[in-house]
Amino acid sequence: MKNISLGQYYPTGSVIHRLDGRVKIILAVIHIIATFLCESLASFACLFVGTLVLVLMTRIPLGVVLRSVRAIVYILIITFILNAFFTVGEGEPLFSVWIFTLYIEGIWNAAFMALRILSLILGTSIFISYTTTPIQLTDSIESLLSPLKKLKLPVHDFAMMMSIALRFIPTISDETDRIMTAQKARGADFTTGSLIKRAKALIPVLVPLFVSAFRRADELATAMECRCYHGGEGRTKMTVPHLCARDIAAVGLMLAFGAALVLLNRVDFLYKMV
Amino acid sequence: MNKKIELIDVSYVYGERTPFEITALKNVNLNIEAGSVTGIIGHTGSGKSTLVRLFNGLERPASGKVLLDGVDIWEKPKEIGKVRYRVGLVMQYPEYQLFEETVAADIAYGPKNMGLDADAVEERVKKYSALVGLSEEDLQKSPFELSGGQKRRAAIAGIMAMKPEVLVLDEPAAGLDPVGRNLIFDAIEEYRAVEGATVIIVSHSMEDMAARCDRVIVMSDGEVVADGTRDEVFSCADKLVSVGLDVPEITKLAELLASRGFDFGKTVYTVSDAADIICRALSGGGNE
Repeated sequence: MKNISLGQYYPTGSVIHRLDGRVKIILAVIHIIATFLCESLASFACLFVGTLVLVLMTRIPLGVVLRSVRAIVYILIITFILNAFFTVGEGEPLFSVWIFTLYIEGIWNAAFMALRILSLILGTSIFISYTTTPIQLTDSIESLLSPLKKLKLPVHDFAMMMSIALRFIPTISDETDRIMTAQKARGADFTTGSLIKRAKALIPVLVPLFVSAFRRADELATAMECRCYHGGEGRTKMTVPHLCARDIAAVGLMLAFGAALVLLNRVDFLYKMV
Repeated sequence: MNKKIELIDVSYVYGERTPFEITALKNVNLNIEAGSVTGIIGHTGSGKSTLVRLFNGLERPASGKVLLDGVDIWEKPKEIGKVRYRVGLVMQYPEYQLFEETVAADIAYGPKNMGLDADAVEERVKKYSALVGLSEEDLQKSPFELSGGQKRRAAIAGIMAMKPEVLVLDEPAAGLDPVGRNLIFDAIEEYRAVEGATVIIVSHSMEDMAARCDRVIVMSDGEVVADGTRDEVFSCADKLVSVGLDVPEITKLAELLASRGFDFGKTVYTVSDAADIICRALSGGGNE
């Protein structure tokens, strides 16, 4: 339970780190849409190269970026296999064993689908998880959702809850660790025995954990009230984000990248998805 | 001298082979004598809390050995649970680990895990709750109805009920008023006297250390920087200050008085000691 790095923010001070948080969310969305618009080999190749350039621009070590990919390796493999065998092609199948028939189109489709998932993960990692602090992220979401205030939706409260939740994940994780150690010192055993026995062994951890979470909530609420917190109405911010030339240029370039991918779909080279 | 716990060249590293690697302990060598009261002091992050987790096998040292009665506790890793009953650890703010519906049931948690029968468990609950000063009535309450000091004592009773041969307490009196502190330290002293146990207290309160411990170990940056009787350790004030600690207030006062010509004849650490010496001096029977 030690050193859980929740929020994988990795500071390097690169151009992408310095972009406005709202812009990064928009860029991530454009990147996702662009990924789904890719159909031909040419556009996939372009998407892949473009994403790689973005990864390099963040100046985050490649190993760290690949760690986020490692988590989805099994999803990638399963997607690849399913797509490979469930695509029915036009020509002769490559081989056919029992109910499994493999067409050349199947391999292409499978590769493209796997690339899409990879690109989705990399895109959000580049623009959000690795380069945006949780605080910047919640502020940006609040700002982007602010038009919904007109519909009387409590956007500020939603953002505040989100930042409190993010803020307390490491605290609660430490607390869990501490309570588990304390109960282990009293002879608790969390690792052996049947599933039911192990679930029961968690009661001495969960009860104090909930008690302390509620105590923290209570204390935090009091502390917020002592500092005159009264919700979002008329509240000003310490750092007011401003869009600068860099941000506008980034959105422009990303849109151009997306448009290029769509145009490249027309290049009929080797294979095009159907 | 009978060695109860012995640490030989113990090192401990957090997050080994990751970018977040932190060495918490470096080649620590220690002996804890049976039946003694040993104090471990050090500023925050000096490695003292890691050290106490090694005593009962909650953490396994990266290198080196932890011996209990001369036997390596990690010789049979599967039986490490037994070591935890023999070396009872009271963690910081132990009141946050209470979870049962009644205080009695909570104190019984440890002994029950040991596999004792119901009668033996009940006997221990009665004995040790009385030892820490909880009434029969308190035992039937929910732990959450008790005051802060009572909760702390209930948690300590929960460890004592396992009848450990070594009782290790991490900051047992943190955040309590003087009455609460004394109740806790008196209970620890009584436990030691009744059970013949070895006691290890971790704290950064020099006053408590001076008043309660036979021997003091000073930790800094994961290393033992001083180890000796309290007279030996507190007499090198410069060293303590250099590792971010301080000598007790009364010792400082005595030093000031000594520089003005009043000789206490020895280093004093407790207010009552100092008061005795001063009284004797005033009534003419002192050193000057």
